[in-house]
Amino acid sequence: MAAVQQNFSKMISAQLRNKANEFLNSRKHANNLADILQMFEAETDNYTPLLLTVEVIFTELLRRGDLIEGIVPLKPADHSPEGEYKRWLRQCFEAAQTRALECIRRGRTSSRLQALVTACKLMQAEGKHPLEQSTGYYFPSIRLKNIFTVLLDSELSMSAPIARFQEFTEYRDVQQYGLKVLSTLAYRKSPTSIYMQNYLELLDRLLVCEITTEPRAKAKERDNEEKEEKLLCGAEDKAPFPYNPGVCRRYANRCWGFACQWPLCEDSRVHRRALLLLVERLMPLLARPHLATDMLCDSLDAGGPISMLALQGVLELVRRHNIDYPDMYDRLYAMFEPEMFATRYKKRLLHLADIFLSSTHLPEGLVAAFAKRLARLALLAAADDAAALLQLLHNLLLRHPALKRMICHEDSPAIMSNDPYVMEETCAGASRALGSSLWEVWALRRHAAPALAAAAAAVFAAADPRATPVALAPPDLAASFDAELKKRFKTIEMNFVRPQGMTTPSGERVMQYWELMA
Amino acid sequence: MAKVKNKRNSGLADKVNNKRKTEINKKKLNPFEVHINREKIKVLGKKSKHDRGLPGVSRAKAIQKRKETLGTEMKLMNKTNTFIDRRIGEKNNQLSAEDRMVARFAAERAKQHSKKDIYNLADDEVLTHRGQTLEQIEKFDDPRSDDEEDEDGRKFGGLGDDFVAEGHFGGGMLSKTESKDGAKSHKDLIEQLIAESKKRKAEKQKEKEQTLDLTEKLDSEWKDLQPVVFKKMRTEEKESAIDKLLSKAEKQSFDYDKMMRELRFEKRGTPSDGLKNDEKQAKEEMARLEQLEKERMQRMIGEEVTPAKAKPDARKHRSAEDLDDNFELDDEHDFMLSYDKDGKPLVPEEVLKDYSVPNAKPKFNDGISDTSEEGEDEEESDENDDDDDDGDESEDGADKNDSEAESESDDESETTDKSQPKDNGKSKLVANDDEDSDDDDDDDDDSSVEESDSQNTNTKSKPKETAKQKTIDVNSESDLDEEILKQVIRSEAGNKTEKTEKPLNKSKEENTKVNEEIITVKSEEEEESSIEDGDDDESSIEDDDDESVLDLNDLRDLKESDAESDDLDVEYLENIEKIGKFFDVSASEGDKLKELLTGKTPAQQSTVLQNLIKSYDPSLSENNKDKLSKLFAYMLQYVNDIFSNLKEEGDVIKAFLIFDRIAPHFYDLAQTNKVSSKKFIVELLKEKYEIFKKRQRRVPDMDTLIFFKLISILYPTSDFKHPVTTPALIFLSEILTFCRFNDPYSISRGIFVTTLVLEYTILSKRLVPPAINFIRGILYLCSNTTVLNPIQVVPPFRLHKDAKILNLENDCSKMTVGTKMAAADLTLKEINDDFKIRCLASSMGILKEFFDYFSDIEAQVYLFEPHLRLISRIDLDLYPVKVVCRINEIANYMKACLEVKTFTPLSREKKRPKALRLYEPDIQEVFTGSKSSKLSREQAESQRLKSKYKKEMKGALREIRRDKSYVASVKIRQKIQSDNVRKEKVKQIYKDASIQQGELNKMKRMK
Repeated sequence: MAAVQQNFSKMISAQLRNKANEFLNSRKHANNLADILQMFEAETDNYTPLLLTVEVIFTELLRRGDLIEGIVPLKPADHSPEGEYKRWLRQCFEAAQTRALECIRRGRTSSRLQALVTACKLMQAEGKHPLEQSTGYYFPSIRLKNIFTVLLDSELSMSAPIARFQEFTEYRDVQQYGLKVLSTLAYRKSPTSIYMQNYLELLDRLLVCEITTEPRAKAKERDNEEKEEKLLCGAEDKAPFPYNPGVCRRYANRCWGFACQWPLCEDSRVHRRALLLLVERLMPLLARPHLATDMLCDSLDAGGPISMLALQGVLELVRRHNIDYPDMYDRLYAMFEPEMFATRYKKRLLHLADIFLSSTHLPEGLVAAFAKRLARLALLAAADDAAALLQLLHNLLLRHPALKRMICHEDSPAIMSNDPYVMEETCAGASRALGSSLWEVWALRRHAAPALAAAAAAVFAAADPRATPVALAPPDLAASFDAELKKRFKTIEMNFVRPQGMTTPSGERVMQYWELMA
Repeated sequence: MAKVKNKRNSGLADKVNNKRKTEINKKKLNPFEVHINREKIKVLGKKSKHDRGLPGVSRAKAIQKRKETLGTEMKLMNKTNTFIDRRIGEKNNQLSAEDRMVARFAAERAKQHSKKDIYNLADDEVLTHRGQTLEQIEKFDDPRSDDEEDEDGRKFGGLGDDFVAEGHFGGGMLSKTESKDGAKSHKDLIEQLIAESKKRKAEKQKEKEQTLDLTEKLDSEWKDLQPVVFKKMRTEEKESAIDKLLSKAEKQSFDYDKMMRELRFEKRGTPSDGLKNDEKQAKEEMARLEQLEKERMQRMIGEEVTPAKAKPDARKHRSAEDLDDNFELDDEHDFMLSYDKDGKPLVPEEVLKDYSVPNAKPKFNDGISDTSEEGEDEEESDENDDDDDDGDESEDGADKNDSEAESESDDESETTDKSQPKDNGKSKLVANDDEDSDDDDDDDDDSSVEESDSQNTNTKSKPKETAKQKTIDVNSESDLDEEILKQVIRSEAGNKTEKTEKPLNKSKEENTKVNEEIITVKSEEEEESSIEDGDDDESSIEDDDDESVLDLNDLRDLKESDAESDDLDVEYLENIEKIGKFFDVSASEGDKLKELLTGKTPAQQSTVLQNLIKSYDPSLSENNKDKLSKLFAYMLQYVNDIFSNLKEEGDVIKAFLIFDRIAPHFYDLAQTNKVSSKKFIVELLKEKYEIFKKRQRRVPDMDTLIFFKLISILYPTSDFKHPVTTPALIFLSEILTFCRFNDPYSISRGIFVTTLVLEYTILSKRLVPPAINFIRGILYLCSNTTVLNPIQVVPPFRLHKDAKILNLENDCSKMTVGTKMAAADLTLKEINDDFKIRCLASSMGILKEFFDYFSDIEAQVYLFEPHLRLISRIDLDLYPVKVVCRINEIANYMKACLEVKTFTPLSREKKRPKALRLYEPDIQEVFTGSKSSKLSREQAESQRLKSKYKKEMKGALREIRRDKSYVASVKIRQKIQSDNVRKEKVKQIYKDASIQQGELNKMKRMK
């Protein structure tokens, strides 16, 4: 069945190619274009061949300049057959573009992506060979606007096309004009969550290319150094595109300004996306980032992954913009819960915690509480997570020499009846962790994974004053399994007692708990 | 001076006495005689002998000494004879006469121990007998003296009693009258006596000669016989030259034959240690096991305690300035990599060991990377009677097979005989068939044995003949083993391509078919009977349909047959043949193995495998090792097959039964080829891990989990680091970390995995948090939680999601439930109360074991407190009483343990300050402190000698001077004395003369 369909589609594409060639070769086959455009209505699922054909035809036409209508001011429109034909071609061009835009919403994913690409390519062709004669740089921003209106759908999640769109946002002109267009489109009263998501995602993509925040002069210098900034609609014979980071920043600010007014925090997915965008991309661009403080603070209280993301923003504010945040560390402390292992952002959290806790002005008791908590979590975590936690713990011990009393208590090794540390205490400073010891790490030395046991042993070596804290290496998931397999051994030890059945000679437990053979 | 000499021999009392005497003498010193020598320079600590002296005494002593030595010499001067008294102790008047004797005897004895006689151990005292030494007597020659003859009790020179009585005592009146011929004359008597004695002597002589002759004859005969008894050594020497040449040639051919035989047959077994009795063997075995256990413990501790084992021998030189900070100049040259003409790297051995991949090694890769293997192998071979290396020749092996086969067949016939009366003529035809088939079997057996035999020899003696097959084999072998395995796993789907059987096999297959039919007939009968028996079983199984009942009975049947010790393997005989050809045809052996094993009871499968392994013992052919390693892979595949797609409880049980029987063979195979089997297992793990990673949320099925069990059977799970068990344990813990547990499928497997983790860590007591978390999750699922009263849960379990799925809702307190998880749980579709209860019970058991791991660690509280909190949330009233009892027991135990837990703050071990290393003081042999110390040894020696000589010379001169003065004094005394004598004489003469003159004068006057 599939093969037949494939054959069919191949046939169609061959046919279409023939038609396009005929049309381009001579005007006799002008009706072919109309046929092709008609076929959009017949097709329901896979528009790819059609779109490709359309793309080929109009790129070629634009390159030839067939669409250019010589409009002479103060003269009636040209009614010659030539003029009619050109006008008809223009109409067809418009129609093709609307078709392509429609196709972004319909059909299978691959064809939708193709539709987007086609629309963009047409835009590119038009930018390179504008419909009106012009000598300067020309960007068909109306086309971009049309594309954006389609991408910002209210019902349909456009994450796949938007992701594809990223290959165009790498062009500087697309970025600049895109931000400009987006800022004009953004105003909307009560957007749906899907709309917001699409919007945020699009904005995110537009900001993939870093916008410099350096002063002009320096930027110019740098421009001279690297001139290879990609332009979508640029051509050699035209004036260069005046890229202006300041303008970009202004538009980006405006875009975010609109988005801020929406209820971003209602839907958790939107919320997460917004935070991700804010934290990852927008923060350095914003003119007044402290305006985001409220949102971040609210998010920080939300708990779970959202607060982890917000934490990064807050960290940024605290570090760069002198925001004083109350109970910052208690909130951070509260994030270290067993649930964190299930979230996607645990590595980010650990990284942030490492930065937060690297301050040497922190009270010892507070850091000790963190250390204790990390150790507790490491007892519960899987090997990879535990390794990351131990690494953080190790850094804590190295940066705060006072914590050494948690691993080597020197003055009075009196035996206590219980652990002075209170796990349930929400305030980190009040958990009395400094009187406690890291027994958890001691237990982890008996962890089954050899690497982790070694790491735990290394924590105890932190008492050595010469060691320096290391950067948190991103622990690779499932690395431990492969790493273990890669190790070489000189000998392969085997059990020395020959088994008599499926029972292990020493320490059989499966048969003790399972009745498998009756 | 003799006094001194004999002092040693005097008694202790005398010694003391003497000493006292001398002391008394000393005490009597006149203080006025003492002269104190003035010291010119005082040297501290210097003992001076000459600080005081007794000039008078010492002079007298010296004079006395001279008198005794020089004086006597002078006396004897110019005299020819001397008289020396050498009697010991003669001059010592302190000795008593007895002491003197003792001393002399001791001296006599001591002489014997002088240097000269020190090695003469025996003949210190020559024992004599009748003046002759014993040596002289014991010459064992036969002197044949005449004295011996007298020893037969005759007295009086051998005369008769009556004669003696008559002759000596004369009889008397009565006897005289009784005598026949009156009184004989004395002369007659004497003559008679002489004649008698002569006659007797002659008789004796004759007798003796006869015995002598006989002995000599016997001796000569023995000499004749001697060459027959001993080797005829000297006969060859007498052969002629031609004979010699011939024999030489023959000998050469002999040598050739011998060589050929030696080459053909492997070396015969050399005599080893004598048989050990059971006790000793058991003892040795114990010692060996203890040693291995110790090694295992060492590996278990691993680097945990000793992070860096000090290698004292690693460093060659230590400077005196070495600060012990382990700083080392890296001056070891890296080796230069170069290649030989074949393109193989020329690398030192130890480097090769570190870097090379196992594949890159030449042929017997096992030996290289496993240094300890050799010894172990030997030990193992001692242990396993299966693969003993002591020079089993092919014939032996075949014989063994043969005899075994025969015995098996005998068993067979016996059992069939037994079964006949049981059948009760129910099917006569079957019985006949049985017999027929038995005959067939025997025939088959013989032929097949022969075949396999011939094949074995073929493969050895004519390698070229099998070269064709080998090339095929080589193709498959040259591929990496990994690929083989991958291929095997890919063929999992079961490309059951029809194997191209040889036409020869076909006829035999018919036989097997017949046999199979018989077996099925039999088993059906048994099934019927067992169904009748198993009515009560049926009642216990309530909802199962008939099929499953049948299935279960079938299983029970299997087990019974196991118990009856392999009665039913008729097919085994045919299998031998298949085994013989197992590896010869390069077609997929995996399929063949499957074919070989399917449709058999586990016991049969076990014996088949055993035979297969035995017939490809590595000692039989050098390729066999590779073949066996391949067999290992196919067996892995087979296990994978039997454990995949288990839908019914029966299937599960059957699979486990088979696995139970196969497992030891895995061990044997892995032992013979450690490296490759490890590689296979690791590859398998990788493959399974990839499959698992594709669907991380789903628990792997039994076809993955069973291999973890296999690993724990084969490899030591307690090692700190192990190439197989460590990844396996990581895999297990990842299963427990990432999977979702929300249905009976996953929960039962989860518990299985947790049990495996428990088994892996039971010896090393290591911490596996995912396992502990899993039990926490199970308890969470069992407990009664509400949204209002949430409790902290750990991923992968989620709060409020699929909670309470194991929560018991009905009152089951009356129910009787087994405590163990069952095979049925692995195929369960719906959660029932029974399952819930058993889940809780077994996880509590596991929990307790995990709990006990950490009773010495403070962190136990953190690990197990949440569990206790969860247990308190479970509605224990609903559970059966027995289970509740057990749970309460465990919970109380844990609570009690946690309450008494004490927390000792962590403190570092008191580090002992490192002592500076001390060096041995450089002690000179002679310290003089003088300038001469700078001189060389020889010079110093000569210097010393010179000074000594000088000193001695001085002393000697002084002595001579004194001697001279002494001599002079003696001479002057003599002169004075002689002068005096002369004067006296002169005076006398004058006196006499004056008297004479006076008298003359008187006479004159008188005249």
